[in-house]
Amino acid sequence: MLATTLYENGDHRWIMFGRDPNKAEGIIDTNQYMIQSGDQAILLDPGGIELFAPMLSAVLKFVPAQQITHLFASHQDPDIISSLGLWDQALPNAKLYSPWLWESFIRHFGMEKIEFCAIPDEGMTINIGRIQLQFIPAHYLHSSGNFHVYDPQAKILMSGDVGAALESTDAPLWVDTMNIHIPKMRKFHQRWMPSNDAKLDWIRRVRQLDIQIMAPQHGRLFRPPQVQEFFNWFEDLPVGIAIKR
Amino acid sequence: MATPIFVTAASIAAELHQAMLEAKGLALTAKNARALAVRAGSKTVGFKAITHFIDELATDIIRQSQYINGVSEHLSHNAVALWRATTAAEKFDWIATQHSDNIASLHSAIHTCYQQREALSHTLGRGLQELEQQLEEGDKHIRTANLIATSSKVEAASAGDFRNQLEVIAQNITDTADKIRAHLSQARRLLGQRQKHKP
Repeated sequence: MLATTLYENGDHRWIMFGRDPNKAEGIIDTNQYMIQSGDQAILLDPGGIELFAPMLSAVLKFVPAQQITHLFASHQDPDIISSLGLWDQALPNAKLYSPWLWESFIRHFGMEKIEFCAIPDEGMTINIGRIQLQFIPAHYLHSSGNFHVYDPQAKILMSGDVGAALESTDAPLWVDTMNIHIPKMRKFHQRWMPSNDAKLDWIRRVRQLDIQIMAPQHGRLFRPPQVQEFFNWFEDLPVGIAIKR
Repeated sequence: MATPIFVTAASIAAELHQAMLEAKGLALTAKNARALAVRAGSKTVGFKAITHFIDELATDIIRQSQYINGVSEHLSHNAVALWRATTAAEKFDWIATQHSDNIASLHSAIHTCYQQREALSHTLGRGLQELEQQLEEGDKHIRTANLIATSSKVEAASAGDFRNQLEVIAQNITDTADKIRAHLSQARRLLGQRQKHKP
């Protein structure tokens, strides 16, 4: 599995894991992230059960298991957190932060040792080592209980399924030309995202953030010019298209 | 490929559930037989005595089926936990070959996982043994049911006007015993397959 350092300032690091060349056929490619500060680290959307072994192996190249103190699941989907039952064996003392809405559902993946920490609808902040992270509400984008993660020091927004594109594992890491990238995102956003109101609420919220990198859970990452272009494009995009009026 | 043991155990529980339902039918047959024997009076004294045994047998089969059902369900649950621990252990084994810098930090979790796998495997082995013993007990009940069915037919033959009705009841006992035997046989076959595939 490919590991890329997105940000590094002293012991504060963002690592992205993904583009696994050995990924089984038919499984959607996912980006996993780890934020490390001091002697603590959090895994963001640690992935599906099929990815557990390569993911843990890749993570251990950066931090010992005891320092992976937190997990975050933006929502309840299998590509986000179906590996939970195995993380539960590997990190028995970790805490899982996830929307309160999904606790009783996520527990179906198996969680006996890890502690579930419910994120309220309005979001919250947590400390990892010496930094503070914000859980930004992104409800209905696409899941009805959904959060993104913003790191105000690194100025990185992990945007979950927003900004996602379905691409091959050898796709470049960064969005280059939006005109070329937009067709790869359009259907995903129109079909998976159910609510135009939710979309506008999220845009209003994240436009107030200083974002140097927008990092979705699938596909390429966005640098500042493309972030703004993405907001403008997404603002005008009708979503929830499966319902015909 | 061998059927996973949690599937086998759940299938055995299902067979025993069916056996229990049949035994409940047998208990009803016993009640009907007793009512008929009371109406028939002195000609069916022998049959009336047998109904007590049928009732007792039905109660025993129900109780034992419920017990085996519980053992099987517990075994299935246990086998799922073992499967999860084994899956995790296999992933850990693979990770250990990847020469990750911090692999030593996982040693405690890996050790706990291996211990858990061993303990679950031991518990599962004991549970399978108990299941085997309980199914053997079930066979004894079937032999008793066959004896009761034969005696019922003999008694029915001397019941005068009530002969036909009592013969129907005797046949009912035979049929029910056959059905319970079939469920127990299937349960033992499933268990036997599992034992055959054991490493």
